[in-house]
Amino acid sequence: MVEHVIPKNLEEALKYLNAKPYKVIAGGTDLMVQHRAWSALSPNFKTPLLFCFNLNALKYIKVQNDEIAIGSMTDLETLLDHPLTPEILRKVISVMASPAIRKVSTLSGNIINASPAADSLLALYALDAKVVCRSLHTEREVLVSEMVLGPRKTQLKAHEIITEIRIPKTSFTHTTFVKVGGRLADAISKVAFVGCAQIVNNQVKDLRIVLNAVSATLIRQKAIESQWLNKAPNVLQSQMDTILEAYEAYIQPIDDQRSNKYYRKQTALNLIKQFINTL
Amino acid sequence: MSTINRSVPKVDAKDKISGKMLYVSDLHIDGMYYAKTVRSTISKGFIKSITLPELPEEVTVVDYRDIPGKNNVKMIFEDWPVFAEKAISHYGEPIMLVVGPNKAIVQDVVNEIDIQYTLAEPVFDMVNSVVDYHFTKGNPESAFKNAKRTIKYTYETGYQEQAYIEPQGFIGTIEGNKVHLTGSIQAPYYVKNAVVETLACDPSDVRIVQANVGGAFGGKEEFPSLIGCQLAVALKKVKKPIKLIYEREEDMEVTTKRHPAKITMEAAIDENHHISAIKAHVGIDGGAFTGLSSVVLSRAMIAATSAYTIAHLQVDGDVYLTNTVPNGAFRGFGAPQMIFAVEMFMNHIAKDLSKDLHAYRLNHLAKQHDLTTTSGTFRDPILMPQMIEKACEMSDYHHKKTLYERPGSYKGIGMSWFLHGCGFTGSGEAEHIKAKVKLRKDEQDNVHLMIAAVDMGQGAKTTLMKVAAEVLKRPLETIHFDNPDTDQVPDSGPTVASRTAMVVGGLVARAAKQIKDNWVDGKVQTVHESYKQPEYMSWDQATFTGDAYPAYSWGVNVVEVEVDKASYEVTVKNIWSVYDVGKSLDDNIVLGQADGGTAQGVAYGYLEVMRHKDGKIVNKNMTDYVIPTAVDMAKTETVLFDNPFALGPYGAKGAGELTLVGGAPAVATAIEMAINKRIYKIPATPEYLMELIHSDNN
Repeated sequence: MVEHVIPKNLEEALKYLNAKPYKVIAGGTDLMVQHRAWSALSPNFKTPLLFCFNLNALKYIKVQNDEIAIGSMTDLETLLDHPLTPEILRKVISVMASPAIRKVSTLSGNIINASPAADSLLALYALDAKVVCRSLHTEREVLVSEMVLGPRKTQLKAHEIITEIRIPKTSFTHTTFVKVGGRLADAISKVAFVGCAQIVNNQVKDLRIVLNAVSATLIRQKAIESQWLNKAPNVLQSQMDTILEAYEAYIQPIDDQRSNKYYRKQTALNLIKQFINTL
Repeated sequence: MSTINRSVPKVDAKDKISGKMLYVSDLHIDGMYYAKTVRSTISKGFIKSITLPELPEEVTVVDYRDIPGKNNVKMIFEDWPVFAEKAISHYGEPIMLVVGPNKAIVQDVVNEIDIQYTLAEPVFDMVNSVVDYHFTKGNPESAFKNAKRTIKYTYETGYQEQAYIEPQGFIGTIEGNKVHLTGSIQAPYYVKNAVVETLACDPSDVRIVQANVGGAFGGKEEFPSLIGCQLAVALKKVKKPIKLIYEREEDMEVTTKRHPAKITMEAAIDENHHISAIKAHVGIDGGAFTGLSSVVLSRAMIAATSAYTIAHLQVDGDVYLTNTVPNGAFRGFGAPQMIFAVEMFMNHIAKDLSKDLHAYRLNHLAKQHDLTTTSGTFRDPILMPQMIEKACEMSDYHHKKTLYERPGSYKGIGMSWFLHGCGFTGSGEAEHIKAKVKLRKDEQDNVHLMIAAVDMGQGAKTTLMKVAAEVLKRPLETIHFDNPDTDQVPDSGPTVASRTAMVVGGLVARAAKQIKDNWVDGKVQTVHESYKQPEYMSWDQATFTGDAYPAYSWGVNVVEVEVDKASYEVTVKNIWSVYDVGKSLDDNIVLGQADGGTAQGVAYGYLEVMRHKDGKIVNKNMTDYVIPTAVDMAKTETVLFDNPFALGPYGAKGAGELTLVGGAPAVATAIEMAINKRIYKIPATPEYLMELIHSDNN
């Protein structure tokens, strides 16, 4: 068994991290699976571990400076039931994993696990969510979409810990979430989609489209979105092929044990089309 | 008529639901050792060298050189080694066990063993036939010669994993010469006979006890013989109690699965548009070793026209070996593959002839006194017309069909009709199994069922105890049925082939009758019964001629689906079923079989995907091998028809497999209607549906 520490509070956690690069465990629902061993043996971790389950001060959801602030140890099941949770995030969480896993897993863990198929990231990308990274001496705010660099790769530094997720308040007239996962619960996405739009006086004032599991990181292309603002929905619908072509360049899925690249690509395009046709 | 079908609480339910029941991995013996299997990392080749690390004290390596008897797992053919010697035939083939008292140390040794191989070219296609059967009925050649036209299609089915809740495992002890294994098994005497051959010992030196079984679905019919033999060899060498339990991924990678199949059907159509003859070729992928594949092939071939009667038949079949995990027993045993092909073929013929599917199929439905595929006779009444009518009424089939057949509906309703032969194929019961049962009344007038039948969750204990109680007219509480122990009970055969209620239950009823007729209060009384083949049955295994089964159970499944236009995903909305299992011995238990069976059978048709890549199973955990969850499972409605079989206890026939075998074609024909394309293979995944929808020539 490798060395492990269970800090009593954030201060203590930051001191540990300042001294040594620990692997930080929030809910552990990804890490424990990734490091599984023969039953009744300790999991196969090679690096020292820091368990966060006692950091109760990081379990909250509140309004703060026109943003929704979520403590990084808040479990998904709590978010599912909380009135402040943005609707699109709630939709996504409602089909993530199973109730037992949601009871311990966290948004911060899902972000740092940085899976191309992560579902919560769909909503966090769409909502322009940010994470607060703290170390003993520093604090910085980073967009979730910039935090994630590639599969299992983030820009979190060795001595940092995520303390908060901040979600700007937004309002949409249309929000859609579709998860294509093989089955309705306890599934890993083959491809999943979030679309949000604000239509005012028949003009698209805000448009956000996010896809997972079709490239190394999630796809959100603000440059494409902004081209179609201040236009009527039927303009977007009439130029569907142009929109789809623009996205097609970024959709580069792979074959794996859950699906194949042709299906993922076609379905991703279908989902974009279906969403735009509902505006 | 008997009211035995009235449900009682299952005798095992309370301990299972409360978590009190112990399974083999819960068992602990002081001082026990743990065994871990070292496996090949190539699909085909030869072992060039094995380099062991310096073994820590108390750690032992067990391999083929330690086998006192035959290095063969006793089944039908001699081709499945207990441990690989030189040749490797599939990825994950067991080479040795590492045994020691400390799991971490055992794991370290396993990690440090270095095995070098000479590689050979693996075969993954169905080309290497090792079993080849054929039979005919009537005169297919002449029917084909006189045909107005012929119609031919090929159908393919994939792997299916049993996905029992509890992985494979045993715990064993040794005292003097006597080896005692307790395991999660369906066939205590299969394990015993295999271990006796491997140890080359006296049968009295092997004792097999069934642990509480957390699901099996056929997966614990023959595979446990392999682990049982390995563990017995280890016990002989190490002389300590040893536990050998598979991890989930190990279990999914290396244990037997449902055979992938490729079935080609050709029909001769006469001037009245009737099918006058069928030629079928059934190819199944046996994996690396033959195992039970020849018997699986037989059952598939005998189901070549399922619930229909076709006058002339030519049925050929092959078991092909490939360098993949050995395939084996799985609820349905060859029938799900065949019934999928038959049902799709009937629909495709009707479509090619522009006939109404329903009417066309009804015209070919089997009737009492018709000849079976093997020229035996359907002796008992067949209630299928009434059952089909009931299913149509429950599901509003005809109305929905009209609605959903409109192009672009993306909704469909599909139906399958099928039968399942009860018990072993042909003369298996009489010549190979020769089932025996023993009942013992103690001084307190409690009656003990001394039988080898296994309750793996399907309700065998409750059902067979009810049969005895009903015959004896005694309270259920006075009947006892412990998990079988080969030192205590005679060989009443494996718990497979939908035979337990009908065959073993029949023997229990006869034995109970003997006790009742000779009842003396407070006296110990013991009676025996053994299987006698019904006198009307005759079977020629060489030509596949005669009565393949003493009785048939019948079924109708209706499945309603919706297909998503954007993701091509299938949502199963409703499942309706009508079954004739002779006489239900407990309605809740049969309905439980029905719900579980349709879940497994329907999911086989559209959801459950298992593939191998270069011989390695890629869907090797319950995340990547998708079976339906409670939220995926559609609402089910099931009706049972009484049609008592004279030789079954209270009229009971088989119920275990029947409920699975028709699921796939029911969902596949529903999907065909929804997307207006033809389906030739299962599982009908969204990926496959996308191809079909975007293809012009289907």
